[in-house]
Amino acid sequence: MNISTSMIVLIAVIGLFGVGLYCLLITRNLIRLLVGLQIMVKGAMLVLVFVGQSQGQPSLGQSMALTVIVADTIVAVVGLALAVQVKRNVGTLDIADISKLKR
Amino acid sequence: MDENTAFTWLLMVPMISSAVIYLTGRIYSRSLKNGKRTNPARWLALMSLLVTGVFLYFVITYVFSTGQTHYQNFGDVWFRFDGISMMLSLLVLVLGILVTIYSFAYMGKESGEEKFYALLVMMIGAINGLGCALDLFNLWVWFEVMTISSIVLVAFYKDQAASLEAGVKYLIQSATGSVMVVIGIALIFLETGTLNIEMLRMSISAPSPFLIVGGALLVIGFGVKIAMVPLHTWLPDAHSQAPSGISAMLSGVVIEVGLIALLRALGGIALSDGRWGYLLIGFGVLNMIVGNLLALRQKEVKRMLAYSSLSHVGYMLLGFGVLMSLNGLLAGVGAIFHLMTHGLMKSLAFLAAGVFLYNFHISKGSHKALVLDDLNGASKKYPFTAFAFSVALLSLSGLPPLAGFMSKWQLLAGVVQTQNTIMIIVVIFAGLMSVLSLGYYAPLVNRMYRKEPADIVMEGKSVSIWMYIPMALLTLAVVVLGFVPSILYWLTGPAGYSLFIFFGQ
Repeated sequence: MNISTSMIVLIAVIGLFGVGLYCLLITRNLIRLLVGLQIMVKGAMLVLVFVGQSQGQPSLGQSMALTVIVADTIVAVVGLALAVQVKRNVGTLDIADISKLKR
Repeated sequence: MDENTAFTWLLMVPMISSAVIYLTGRIYSRSLKNGKRTNPARWLALMSLLVTGVFLYFVITYVFSTGQTHYQNFGDVWFRFDGISMMLSLLVLVLGILVTIYSFAYMGKESGEEKFYALLVMMIGAINGLGCALDLFNLWVWFEVMTISSIVLVAFYKDQAASLEAGVKYLIQSATGSVMVVIGIALIFLETGTLNIEMLRMSISAPSPFLIVGGALLVIGFGVKIAMVPLHTWLPDAHSQAPSGISAMLSGVVIEVGLIALLRALGGIALSDGRWGYLLIGFGVLNMIVGNLLALRQKEVKRMLAYSSLSHVGYMLLGFGVLMSLNGLLAGVGAIFHLMTHGLMKSLAFLAAGVFLYNFHISKGSHKALVLDDLNGASKKYPFTAFAFSVALLSLSGLPPLAGFMSKWQLLAGVVQTQNTIMIIVVIFAGLMSVLSLGYYAPLVNRMYRKEPADIVMEGKSVSIWMYIPMALLTLAVVVLGFVPSILYWLTGPAGYSLFIFFGQ
C-alpha cells in the first residue's frame, strides 16, 4: 500500500470523526446526537480495516471492525430505547429540555 | 481443580448466568401476574456470584502455590491473571455480593427486578474479564460490555426524567470516549503490528507520533470513565440518579476499573522514562481540588458523595502517576490499597445513604432526592445506619484510626519516598485537600447526631434485615482495616508489583 492511499484513508477517518464530533457539539435533538455518534464510529471502523490491511493481517482488522459494529449497534439500541422513554415521559427530544439536574 | 478450567469458568459463569437470570425471572414474572412471591432472579444472581467466587478461590490458590502469573489463551487472545486481576476480581466480587444482598430489599418492589440482577451480574463479569485481558482490543471489548450494562443500570428508573437525563449524558459521553479508545488502539496497532500488551512493550524502542497520538486518545477515552476533571460532568448525575446499590458499584469499582484499564493499556506503550505519569499526576491534582470544591456546595447527599469520588480518584491518579514516571513502587502499592479501601468505604457511604433515601422517599413511591436537611437527627431513629454512615464519612475524610487514613498515609508516604521536591509539595497539597474534605463530611455527622429529628425522619419506615447485613460487614471491614492494614498486604503487594514491572526500569 503506497503513501497516497494511506493518507487518503487517514484523512477520511479524521473527517468522519470530525463530522461526528461537530454533530455532537451543535445539535440538540437526541436522535441526531445518536446519528453523530454513529458517524464517529464509522471512522473507527474504517481505521481498523485500514490498519489490518497495512499490517498484512486483513482478517484481524476486519474481525475487529465487526466487533466494533456489534458493540456500536448495542449502544445505538440502548440510546434509542432511552430516546423512546424520554419522548414518552418528558414529551420532547430536545436535550435542552431534559437538562434539569444542576451542576 | 485444573487451573485452566477454573479460570475459564471464572470468566464464563457470570456471562452465562446473566442470560439465565433474565430468562428465568422473566418467565416467572409472566406466569404469575399478581403473585406476591419473590422473584427467583435474586437468588440465582447471588448463587452465580458465589460460584464465581469459588472459581476465583481456585485460581488464586493456584497462583499462590506456584508463585507465578497465570497465562491462558483462547485462540490468539491471551489472558494474564496477575496481582491486579486478583485484586480487582476479589474487590468486585465482594462488593457485588454485598450489593446483591442489599438490593433484595431495595429493589424488591420494582418491576423488572430480573433485568437489574442480570445486568449487575453481567457488569461484574465484565470487570472480572477486564482485569485479566492482555490484548488491547479484548480490553476494550470487556470495557464496552461493562459500560453498556452500567448505562442501562443508571437509567433503571425509566419513568423518571432525572434518571433518563443521567443515562443520556452517560451514554453520549461514554460512547464518545469508547470511539476514541478504538481509534487509539488502531493507531498503536498501525505503529507496532501487535495488540498483545507484553509484545507491544518489546517492540517499542522510541516514541513516535502515532504512539503519542494513540496514547493521548487512550487517556482521553478512558479518562471519560475515570472522570478526569474536564471530562467528569456525567459522574454526579449518573451516580446520584442510579439505584443506591448501583451507585455503590459505580463509585466503588467502575471508575477505578477505567483507571486499571488505562494503566494496562499505557503499560504497553509507556517507555521506562515515559512522561505519561506526569500527565496522570497533573490530572490527579486537578481532580482533588475540583472534586473537593464542588462537593462543598452540594445540597444533595448522593451528589456530594459522587463529587467526593472525584477527589479520591485524584489521590489514586497521583499514586499511579508516581509509579509510572518516578519508579515509586510504594506509591503504587499505596494507590492500590487506597483503591480497595475507597471501594469499601464509598460503597458503605452510598449504601447507608441509600437506606435513608429508600425509607424516606422511595418506599413511599416518591423519587425525590435525599437532601442534607433530611438527615437531621437521623441517629435517633436509625442508630445503626447513622453509625455506619458516620464511619464511612470519617474514613473517607481520612481520620485515624479508620481505613481511609491508613490508605492515604501509605499512598502519600510512598510519594514522599521519591525524594522529589515537586512531589513533596504535591503531597502537602494532597494533605491539605484531605483536611478540606472534612469541611463537607463532618457537618453530615454533626447533623445526624446533634440536631433535632426532622419530621421526615420520624415518619421513616424501619430498615430491612437484608440492608443491615452488607452495611454491618462493610463497617467491620473499614474499622478493622484501619487498625490492622497489614491483612491486605498479600493482595496489594503483588498488585503494585505487577504494575511496576510494566513501568519500572
